[in-house]
Amino acid sequence: MNTSAQLRMMVFASLMTALIAIGGYLSFPIPLIPVPIVLADFFVMLAGLLLGAAWGSASVGLFLFLGAMGIPVFAGGASGVAVFLGPTGGFLVGYLLGALVIGWVSGKGKPSSVKDFIALLLGDFVLFGLGIVWLKTVLKVTWAKALGFGLLPFIPGTVIKMATAIILVRTLRPYLKSLLPREDEYRA
Amino acid sequence: MAELTLFHYIAKKTLIHGMDGRIKLICMILFTMAVGFSQKGLDLAVLTAVLLMVYMAAGLSIKRLMTEIRYFLVLIGIIVVAHSFTIPGTAIPGLPVQGMTWEGLRSGLLFGWRLMLMLIIGNIMTGTTSFSLFKNVVEWFLRPVPFIPAARVAMMFSLTLVLIPAIFDQASEMLDAQKARCIDGRKNPIARISFLAGPLLFHTFMRADEIVQAMESRCYSEVRTPTAFQTTPTDWLLLGFTVAACLMVLLI
Amino acid sequence: MAILEIRHLTHIFPNGTIALNDINLSVEAGEFVVIAGANGSGKTALLRHLNGLLRPTSGEVLLEGVPIAKDLTRARRKIGLIFQNSDNQIVGQTVSEDVAFGPENLNLSREEVDRLVKEILEAVGLSDLACRQPHTLSGGQKKRLAVAGVLAMRPQIIAFDEPFVALDYQGVLQVLSQIVDLHRKGHTILVVTHDLEKVLAHATRLIIMEKGRIVRDGDPARLIGDVETYGIKKPSGESVETMTWLS
Ligand SMILES: Nc1ncnc2c1ncn2[C@@H]1O[C@H](COP(=O)(O)OP(=O)(O)OP(=O)(O)O)[C@@H](O)[C@H]1O
Ligand SMILES: [Mg+2]
Repeated sequence: MNTSAQLRMMVFASLMTALIAIGGYLSFPIPLIPVPIVLADFFVMLAGLLLGAAWGSASVGLFLFLGAMGIPVFAGGASGVAVFLGPTGGFLVGYLLGALVIGWVSGKGKPSSVKDFIALLLGDFVLFGLGIVWLKTVLKVTWAKALGFGLLPFIPGTVIKMATAIILVRTLRPYLKSLLPREDEYRA
Repeated sequence: MAELTLFHYIAKKTLIHGMDGRIKLICMILFTMAVGFSQKGLDLAVLTAVLLMVYMAAGLSIKRLMTEIRYFLVLIGIIVVAHSFTIPGTAIPGLPVQGMTWEGLRSGLLFGWRLMLMLIIGNIMTGTTSFSLFKNVVEWFLRPVPFIPAARVAMMFSLTLVLIPAIFDQASEMLDAQKARCIDGRKNPIARISFLAGPLLFHTFMRADEIVQAMESRCYSEVRTPTAFQTTPTDWLLLGFTVAACLMVLLI
Repeated sequence: MAILEIRHLTHIFPNGTIALNDINLSVEAGEFVVIAGANGSGKTALLRHLNGLLRPTSGEVLLEGVPIAKDLTRARRKIGLIFQNSDNQIVGQTVSEDVAFGPENLNLSREEVDRLVKEILEAVGLSDLACRQPHTLSGGQKKRLAVAGVLAMRPQIIAFDEPFVALDYQGVLQVLSQIVDLHRKGHTILVVTHDLEKVLAHATRLIIMEKGRIVRDGDPARLIGDVETYGIKKPSGESVETMTWLS
């Protein structure tokens, strides 16, 4: 990768990190469901889909790193190692592996909406899997309860976010591509 | 949209503010480990006393700490209740609800206490260290690590923190503009998220393109002037104090 | 010899837009050039060729007689670009850190960087704000910070892209007096703007662009009568000397 392309990916990844952090503050109500949708994990999905496995997970990793260092980027303005050890910590680590899986699956071969869908499904499986296992460990509850707290209320929101991500990526991906290997630049 | 308060740091002239950032980070990591490994209430009590002392020495506001703890109290409450009910042991008599155990309550409280102390440690670090110092410290520690481009990570760290306020403002502005056009009348959540996230992403990436050009204009390079750190005897003294406190807690 | 020379410069964007069409231009050291033109006439694209942010489809840019492609770092040091949106130009977490960004990229010694930062913050009047986070600055202050960041590279030519956009009255005055001051100190100045009334009095030369071409080039007093033909607002006064916001 030439330096310019690398710098570009770097800036994109930093922006994605910023969006993931801001996503924690953006919430939408959904009809009939008590918990509102928060966009942090939506931007995690997009990080994987748009930036690919390496840069996507770098951007999520940076997000976690900022949070671990005490910068209040996690949902509700929380931060610090304490959040990782708390009941929701597994979801955070799940973001990282989720983005990795999403980027890896969607990035294989030619991009398509079907592939994106499978990628998101697998990614969210990993994300929730880690989240729920950790939730169960910390709270020491039964599997049924862990699923009841950690998965059920989020299913409708996650489906909505997946659908939105797939739709948006169809226009965003070509746009990003047009920015990326700029043919009208000097090559280092 | 909630207020964004990323910037906890308040410039002051205290012992803790003036520390060499690298040593401060090591101290905080040591304290975090001590908190994580302590098993007894007494250990945690000692650490609490020490950390609160440091907190006061750093001139940080207790009020701020309280507001932050409030958020964690909910989480801790959930943990305490969950542990009390699920960890087997002697039942607590005389309660209106059945099934809580002493062992569970103890385990839940210890867990919650640890989280609370880690929160205080985090607050001391962010409250006394500017982001740019933070970045320099992180870069310094990453420099010898193989396969991690320290300069690049530091740059991304910096960029993200510079960009969060700008993008946040943009997002709030867009939300307001859409509210003014009665977006609340729409019930379809996919449409609502797309109307915000779509333009936000486009704007953000367009911005990225310009940031890249601006950085290139200023000769961006990963071979950069290294940061200068200054370590004073006080820093070593404070490190010694931290090591002593942590060892005392863990060994006794 | 001209400090800056552009020969047969054409730029076609990957999507086929012809942004610049056979531009020829030669700028002498110490000139103060105002470049005007309707939206989309190629002004920004032209500036981005000066320090090699864009690569010409054909033609070349020479700095002191040497093609910039030979040594982009040199071109980027000697030609400072001030972008239209300062928010995208500021990458440091504090004011002084942002000024240090350029010199640090050049891997100057720490002492030298610190000295430069101090000197330049003083010169642009931001010393008191050295530790502020850039996003807490006003629009005019941000623009001055962007200029400071560029000055830290010790450029000879400074090119401003729409420097007055989104600034209030005070902001315009601050930035305008800074530009005039830089010119007085010997920098060669290029200013892209639609707002002739704010700055034209200080210019030694006016260039008008249309559809990727330079259609007029010369003495401001001589060209001012024609500007409306090219979709640029003509300031109300008759004499060019009145076309400034500085009193
Ligand atoms: N990245 C790009 N890809 C394709 N076309 C572009 C790109 N950037 C600019 N253009 C086109 O090139 C032409 C010149 O654009 P440029 O930005 O240089 O105009 P300008 O004179 O600076 O206009 P303004 O006054 O609006 O800033 C325009 O037609 C524009 O649409
Ligand atoms: Mg322009």
